Amino acid sequence: MKSTKSNITRRRLLASGLAAPFVSMMPGVLTPARANETVKLQFMYPVGVSGDINTIISGMIADFNATHDGIEVEAIYAGSYDNTEQKVITALGVGEPPALWLPINSSLQTFLGLDALEDVTEQAKSDDIYDDFIGGFLDTAVSDGRLYGLSYQPSTPVLYYNKDAYAQAGIDKAPETWDELLETAKALTIRDGDELKRWGLIIGGGWHDWMFEGYCRQNGLVPWEKDKVLWDRPEAIEALSFWKTMVDAGCMAPASTWQGSANDFMAGSTAMLYHSTGSLTNLRKSSPFEVGVAFMPKKKQFGASQGGGPIMIAKNQSDAKKEAAWTFARWMTNTENQAAWSRATGYLAVRKSSWQQPEMVDYLKEVPQAEVAMKQAEFSGAFLQVPAYSRARDSLKSAIDRTLAGEIAPEAALTDATAEVNREIARVLRRQKS
Amino acid sequence: MTDVIQTAAMPDTATARRPRWRKQLRENGLHLIMLPLALLWLSPLIWILITSLKTNAEVFDQAAGFWPDKLNFSNYPSTLSVAPFGTYLINSVIVTTTILAGQLITITLAAYAFARLTFPGKNLLFTLFLLQVMFPIYAIFLTNFVTLREMGLINTIPAMIVPFVASGYGTFMLRQSFRQVPSELSDAARLDGCGHMSILWHVYLPLVKPTLIAFGIISVVTHWNDYMWPLLVTNSESIRTLPIGLGLLAKADSGADWPRLMAGTTIVVSPLLLLFVIFQRRFIDSFMHTGVK
Amino acid sequence: MSPSFARARRKEMLLAYALLLPSLVFLAIFTYWPILRSVWFSLHDVLLGDPDIYWLGAENYLRLLDDRLFWKVLGNTAFYTLTTIPLSIAVALLLAVALDSKLRGMAIYRSAFFYPVMIPSVAAGMVWVFLYAPGYGPINEALTTLGLPRLDWLYDSQWALPAIVIMSIWKYSGYFMLILLAALKLVPSDLYEAARLDGVSGWHRLLHITIPLVSPTLYFVIIIGTLHSYQIFDYVYVMTQGGPADSTNVLTFYIYQNGFQYQDIGYASALANALLVFVLGLIGLVALTLGRKVHYLGER
Repeated sequence: MKSTKSNITRRRLLASGLAAPFVSMMPGVLTPARANETVKLQFMYPVGVSGDINTIISGMIADFNATHDGIEVEAIYAGSYDNTEQKVITALGVGEPPALWLPINSSLQTFLGLDALEDVTEQAKSDDIYDDFIGGFLDTAVSDGRLYGLSYQPSTPVLYYNKDAYAQAGIDKAPETWDELLETAKALTIRDGDELKRWGLIIGGGWHDWMFEGYCRQNGLVPWEKDKVLWDRPEAIEALSFWKTMVDAGCMAPASTWQGSANDFMAGSTAMLYHSTGSLTNLRKSSPFEVGVAFMPKKKQFGASQGGGPIMIAKNQSDAKKEAAWTFARWMTNTENQAAWSRATGYLAVRKSSWQQPEMVDYLKEVPQAEVAMKQAEFSGAFLQVPAYSRARDSLKSAIDRTLAGEIAPEAALTDATAEVNREIARVLRRQKS
Repeated sequence: MTDVIQTAAMPDTATARRPRWRKQLRENGLHLIMLPLALLWLSPLIWILITSLKTNAEVFDQAAGFWPDKLNFSNYPSTLSVAPFGTYLINSVIVTTTILAGQLITITLAAYAFARLTFPGKNLLFTLFLLQVMFPIYAIFLTNFVTLREMGLINTIPAMIVPFVASGYGTFMLRQSFRQVPSELSDAARLDGCGHMSILWHVYLPLVKPTLIAFGIISVVTHWNDYMWPLLVTNSESIRTLPIGLGLLAKADSGADWPRLMAGTTIVVSPLLLLFVIFQRRFIDSFMHTGVK
Repeated sequence: MSPSFARARRKEMLLAYALLLPSLVFLAIFTYWPILRSVWFSLHDVLLGDPDIYWLGAENYLRLLDDRLFWKVLGNTAFYTLTTIPLSIAVALLLAVALDSKLRGMAIYRSAFFYPVMIPSVAAGMVWVFLYAPGYGPINEALTTLGLPRLDWLYDSQWALPAIVIMSIWKYSGYFMLILLAALKLVPSDLYEAARLDGVSGWHRLLHITIPLVSPTLYFVIIIGTLHSYQIFDYVYVMTQGGPADSTNVLTFYIYQNGFQYQDIGYASALANALLVFVLGLIGLVALTLGRKVHYLGER
C-alpha cells in the first residue's frame, strides 16, 4: 500500500493559529500548571445497570478520596459502553486521555491498536492479583501474556426463566442441552389459533451476537483469534442452524431489542430469556413472578462469553498519575468493594475472596440465582477481542437477523460476514503496521 | 392596522340568523373529530404519567391493570437522588436561553438581508447558510471537538452553546416570514424617512412575532433535549444538563428502570410544557389574524 | 444609472454583508471549517483517536460504491423521508387549519398535538418500544380489538421501519403544525371573509386560498422537513440500533456507526460528503420546481 504521511505540523499550526486569539483571552489557560501534591485522576465509566448504580459509584469514589491523601479521583459518567469508548477515544485523539476508564472487554485490541494502555503485568504480579482474581475474568484483559487492566464488572449471559410458567407446563427443571432447550421452548409456547400468546424463548436483541458466541463456545469453538473471526466454521454454522430451527418451530422470536426483550420477559410474553447477569437484580425485583436462573444449555460443553469490562489505565500520562491510577484500580477491585458491587448490581465479583465474605455468603443464600452465573463463569472466556470489533459485531448481528428472517441460509450468511469482517480487520491491521 | 380586522371577526348580522345551529353543529363536529385524535396523541403521555407512579413490579404485571394500586409518588424523589438534577436544571436553562438569545440576533439580521436587500452572491450565500442544516452532524463532531479544545472550551458551558449560535434553519424560517410582509408597509415607512434598521425593528419584527415564537419554542426544545453533544464535551457534573441525568436511567444494559425513567421524563418535560402552554396562549390572543390591507 | 442610485446600491450591499457577518463568523468556525476538514479526511485513512492520517486518494469513495449496506441504508432513508414528510405535513396542515380558530378548548388541542415534540427522544423511544411490544403492547391490543392481525413491529424486518415512520408522524406533526399556525396568523382574515361571503366551501377555501397563502411556509416546511428527516438518528439509536437485519439503519446512523463506533472517520466523511452532494442536488431541484410556485404576499 502506498501511503504518505500527511503534513500534520501544518494542520496543527493552522488549528492553533485559529484558536490563539481565543486562548489568550481565557485567563489562566496559559499559566503553566503548578507542581501540586495532589494527583488528580479522571475516571470515565458507563452505567450498565440503571439508576442507583451512579449513586453507588459516586459513593465509592467519595470513600476513596476520603481515605487516600494525595489522590483525587473525578468520576465521569460517560453514557453507555459505546459512548464511553467514544469519549475516551476522542480524548485520546487530542492527547488528553482520562487516567482510567471502564470499557467493554471486547475493546482491548482497539485500545492496544491506539497504543493507549499501560501494561500492568508487573504490578499485578507483585500484588495478589494473579492469586485472588478468578482466572477467566483476569484473562479478558490479557493480550500476548501481558495484562492491561483489572477486571471490574464481568457478566455473562444466562438463561432466565419464569417459574410460574414452568409450573403451569409441568416442567420442573431448566433445560441443560440444546435439544432439551428446543423441547422446553416448544412446551412453553402458547398459541391461540394463529395468534401467539407467549414465546418459549427470546434471545435479547442488540446483544444477540454475544449470546451467539456463547453458542459457538458450547459447540466447542472460540469463534475468533487475535486477528480474524471464524464464524464460517461448521460449529458456528450448526449453532445458527439451531437458532433457525427454533424460529421455524415457532417457539423463539426471530428478533428483539435489548430493552424490549427484558420487558417481554417481565410481562410474561416470553417464558425464557437470554440476558445479561447484570440484569438479575432488575428482573428479579420487577417481575411479578419468581425468576429462575440457569446455565445456558450446552451442546458439547457449557460455554459463555464475558461481557462487562476491566478498568484500564492510560499509558500517556505521568508516572505519578500511573501509580495513583493503579492504587485506585486496585482499590476498586479489592475484596470488600467487589463483594458490595456484586450484590448491588448482579455483576460478578472478580475475586475469590469476595465470594467468601460473610455478606456474600448470606446474599447467596437469599438469592441463590446469583451463584449460577458465577459457576458458569468457569466455562467462559473473553468476547470477540479482535480489532474493529464494533464493525464485526454489527456484521454478525445483521447476518443472524437475515438468517432468522429467512432471507438467507445460515452458511451463506456466516461465510459472507466472515469474509467481510476479516477484510476489515486486515485493513485496520495494515494501517497499524504502516 | 389591527382595528381593520376586529370588524371582520363580527358576523354579518343579516346572514347570522340562519346558520346559527349549523355553526354549532360545525363546532361540535370539529370537536367530534379532534377529541378522539387528541386522545390518541395524548395516550403515550398518559402512559408516562401513570407509569411514573407505579412500582417496578406493577409496570409489566398483566394482572395488575392499568392504574397503579397506590399512587407511588416516591419515584420522584428517588429519581432526583440519582443525579444532581437541580444543577442540571440550572445549566439547561442557561444553555438553552443563551443559545436562543444568540440565535434571535443572528437570524433576524441575516433573514432581513436575505428577504429585503439585494446584493451580489445572495443565492450562493443562502445555500451556504443551509449547509448547516444539510451536513450530517456526526461528520462534524470530531472537528468541532478539536476546535473547542484549541479554544480551551472543553468541559465548559460555552462548549454546549457556541456551535449553535448561528442557525441556517432559523434564518430560512424567518426569511420566509419577512417575505410575506407586504412591501407597501416598508415602502410607507421608507417614505417617512426610516432607515433599514428602524423598519426592521418597528415594522417587520412585530408582524412576524408568531414565527419568532414558533422558532423560539423549537430551538429551546431541540437544545433542551440534546444528549450526545453535551455528553461528549462535558465531564463535570457541575456543568452538565438534564438529558444526561435522564440517560442514567435509560441507557441501561439491564433493561430500563421504567417508573423512574418516566418520572425523570416528566421532570425534564414539565418546564417546557408549562412554557408552551403560556406562550401558545399569547400566540393566539395577540396575533389573531392581524390582517393587513 | 445615476451616481446616487449606484451609491445607494453600494450602501445596501455593505449593509447586507454587515447583517450576515455575525452568522457567518459562527458558521465559518463550526460548520464550514468542519466540512472542509471532512473533505480532507475523506481522502485519507483517519482513525478516531489516532493523530496520524494517511493519504488514500479516492479509495474511501470507491469503497462506498461497493458497500452493500450503504445502498440499503440509502434506500431506507429514502423510504423514511418519502413517507414521513408527506404524511406528517398533511396531518400538520389539517391540524393547523382546524386549530386556527377561537373555538373553546383549542389551547388544549394545540398542546396535545405539540407535546410529543418536547419529549426527549431517549424517553420517547423507550415509550414506543413499550407501545410496539408484540405480546402486550397497546398497539397490538388495539389491532386485535379492531379485528386486524397483530404485528411484530420492531421485531420484524418488514415492519420495523414503518413503525418508526408512524412514531415520527406522532412526534413531528405538532412541530410542523406550529410553524404552519404561525404562518396562518400572517394571512389577512379579510381574504377568508370575502371567500366565505362568496359562498366558497370549506374544502375549496383550503385548496384555493389557504394553501396558496401559506405556500412560502409550506415550502419551508417541506425543505426543512426533508433535511431533518434524512438526518433521523435518535429513534434508531434508542430503539433498534439499525436492526433487525439493517432494516432501520439510516444514513446518519450509518455515518455515526462508521465515524464513532468503527473509528473510521475517513469513510464516515466520504459518506457525509457524498450525501451532501446528493442533497444539494435534491434541494436545487425542489427550489427550481416548487420554489417557482411559491407565492409571497410581500412581493409582486
